Amino acid sequence: MTDTIQIQIDRADGSLQRLIGLVERRGFHIDGMSLSDEGAMRRVQLQVRGRDEGRCTENLGRQIDKLIGATRVGFAQSTYGYQSGVAA
Amino acid sequence: MTAAATAISAKAATAPQSGAQLLVQTLDRLGVDVVFGYPGGAIMPVYDALTGANVKHILVRHEQGAAFAADAYARATGKVGVCMATSGPGATNLITGIANAMMDSVPMVCITGNVATHLMGTDAFQEIDILGVTLPLVKHSWVVRDPADVPAVIEEAFHVARSGRPGPVLVDLPKDVQVGMTSDDFGFHYPNEVTPLDHAAIAEAETLIRAAERPLIYIGGGVKIAGAVEALRDFAERTGIPSVSTLNALGSIRTDAPGFLGMLGMHGTKAANEAVQESDLLIVFGARFDDRATGKLNEFAPHAKVVHFDIDPAEIGKLRAVHVPVIGDLKAGIEILTGRMASASLAIDPWIIRSTSNAKRNAFRYDAPGEGVYAPALLNELSKAAGDSFIAACDVGQHQMWVAQHCEFSRPEAHLTSGGLGAMGYGLPAGLGAKLAKPDAHVVTISGDGSFMMNIQELATLRRYGVALKIVLLDNSSLGLVRQWQELFFAENYSEVDLSDNPDFVAVAQAFGIEAFMIDQRDQVADGIARLLAAPGPCLMHVLIDPKENVWPLVPPGKSNGEMMHDTRFEGDM
Repeated sequence: MTDTIQIQIDRADGSLQRLIGLVERRGFHIDGMSLSDEGAMRRVQLQVRGRDEGRCTENLGRQIDKLIGATRVGFAQSTYGYQSGVAA
Repeated sequence: MTAAATAISAKAATAPQSGAQLLVQTLDRLGVDVVFGYPGGAIMPVYDALTGANVKHILVRHEQGAAFAADAYARATGKVGVCMATSGPGATNLITGIANAMMDSVPMVCITGNVATHLMGTDAFQEIDILGVTLPLVKHSWVVRDPADVPAVIEEAFHVARSGRPGPVLVDLPKDVQVGMTSDDFGFHYPNEVTPLDHAAIAEAETLIRAAERPLIYIGGGVKIAGAVEALRDFAERTGIPSVSTLNALGSIRTDAPGFLGMLGMHGTKAANEAVQESDLLIVFGARFDDRATGKLNEFAPHAKVVHFDIDPAEIGKLRAVHVPVIGDLKAGIEILTGRMASASLAIDPWIIRSTSNAKRNAFRYDAPGEGVYAPALLNELSKAAGDSFIAACDVGQHQMWVAQHCEFSRPEAHLTSGGLGAMGYGLPAGLGAKLAKPDAHVVTISGDGSFMMNIQELATLRRYGVALKIVLLDNSSLGLVRQWQELFFAENYSEVDLSDNPDFVAVAQAFGIEAFMIDQRDQVADGIARLLAAPGPCLMHVLIDPKENVWPLVPPGKSNGEMMHDTRFEGDM
C-alpha cells in the first residue's frame, strides 16, 4: 500500500519541516517515519501513501530531489497506485 | 542540490563590521542596483547601513508593493529582484508577493529582519516564524545565526534564486546578527550547473516530430526564463510547425508571426484550442500543463503524444504523461533539435494551412456595436501605439485576459502578469518595478477598478521618485470576472461584485500629485492613448467601460478546451 523513501537531509533551520510539508502538500499521507542523525546530516525514512489515485510517488521523489540540502538515497516502490509519469 | 561553492576571497581581518554592513556590501558586490522595501524595528540596523550605499532603496508604501515591484523588476531584466521588510507584519505582508514569484518561477531574494535570536520562540513583539510561514512558498530559505555567515548566505541565496528553475528565496536576519560584529568576510563563487542534455532523447523527439502529421509547439514561460526566445523562433521558422502559448509565454513568438495561433486555454483563441485538440504531437517547451491552459485534463489534446523539454525534472509527467522527456537547458535543447531538423523539411503543409487559416477566420474583431469604449479595441490600439518598447504590467481580472488576447507583444518581457497566482494588486507595483528597470520603455500598468484599489498606495511611490509609469484603469464598477462567472454559471445571482461606489479615481490620482484624466466614449480613445503615452511623468487614464462586457471566448470551468463559449454578437460571421 505504501512506498518507502529514504532521504538524507542537512540539519539546517526548518529542514525537517520543509521535507514533511512538501510530502503532505503534494498530496501524500505519511504512514510512518524514522529519523537518525549522522553528524551534520540527518537520515529520514518515510512511508508515504497518495491521498488519491492520481498521486505519483516517482514525481514526489523528484520534488524531494529539488529540496536544497536534501538527497534521496533510497526509493522502494510498491506496485499499488504507482504511476511513472512517462508514457509507455 | 547546492552547488559546490568555492571561496574566492577571504579579506584580511580589518576593522570589524556588522552583519548589516556585510549585507549591504554583499548586495553591492553582487551587482544589485535596486532594492524595494519598507523599514521597521527589527531591520533598522540594515536601514542604517543602507545610508550612503551604492544600492538604491525604493521606499514603497506597503511591503506587498515591494515584493511585486521586485518581482516585476526581475521579470523585466532577467536579474534577481530584491525586497526587504521588517519582522512580523512587515514580513507577512511580503507573502503574497513571494507566492506570486514562486508560481511564476521568478528569481527573487527576500530579506526580512527578525527579533534577536534569544527572543525567537518567545512570542516577542513583532515576532513571526517567517521561515516556517513561507516554507511552501520559497525555493529555499535561511535564518542567519552568525554575522560572519551573512555574505555566504546572501551569495548562496542569489545563486539558488536564479539557478535551474528560478524562484524566490528568503533570508531571515535576526537583529543580533545584524548588529553583531565580525572581521570575517568570505566571498563565494557558485559555478553554473549544467544538466547534460540527453542527445538520445532529442533524437527520439526528432523521430516523433518527423512521424507527426499535426505537430504543435506549446510554449511556456520557461522559454523566456532560459533565454531561449531566439532558439524557439528559429525552430518554429525552420520547421513551420504552428505554435500556441501560455499566458506567461506570450511574446516568446511575436504575436503577429505567421504560424502563431494565440494563447491556449480558458480564455485562449479558438484556433489555438482547436489545434491542441486536433494535434497528434505536442512539443512542449518549458510549460507545466496548468489547469487554466489545459481545461479538463483528461480530454486535453486527446490524440497527441507529448515531447516535453524542461529544466525541472519534477514537471515531467506531473499532470500529463510524456513520451519523450528532455531535461535540461531549454536553449541548448532547442538548438540541438533545430540542428537535427535541418536535414529534411516536414511534409505538414495541409496542417499548417488548416490551423493558420482557422486563426485568420476567427481573428478577434473590434467592431463591437455601440459608442462606449470597447476595452479589447482600446488595448489593441494601445499596444500598437506603444510599439516594440511596450511593456504591459497587468493586474488580474477581465482586463488581464483582454491584455493577453488583444495586445501585440514582440517579446516575452513585454507582458508582465500574475499568471500562476492570479494576484489582484500586482499591476501598479509591477509597473513601478518595470519602469525603474526599463526607464526608456513605454511601461503601462493596465488595471481594473477592483485590482487598482488593492495597492493604490503605490501612487505615492510613483510621485516620490518621479517614475513615469502610465496607467490605464479600465473601470466597469464591478469585480468583472467574478460578475461574468455569476452571470454564466451562478444563474445571474450577483453576489458582492458591485463597486459602483468607487471613489473618483481621477481626483484620487490628482491628490497623489499624478496627472489623470477620464474617457468614456469610443471616439476619445485615440487622443487618450496619445496623451497618456506622451505625458512626461506618471499619468492615469481612467476609462469607463460597459459593466456587462464579458471576456470571450471562454472554456467553462471543468470543461474540455473543445467546448468553448463565444461572443454571440459576432456569431454567424465566424
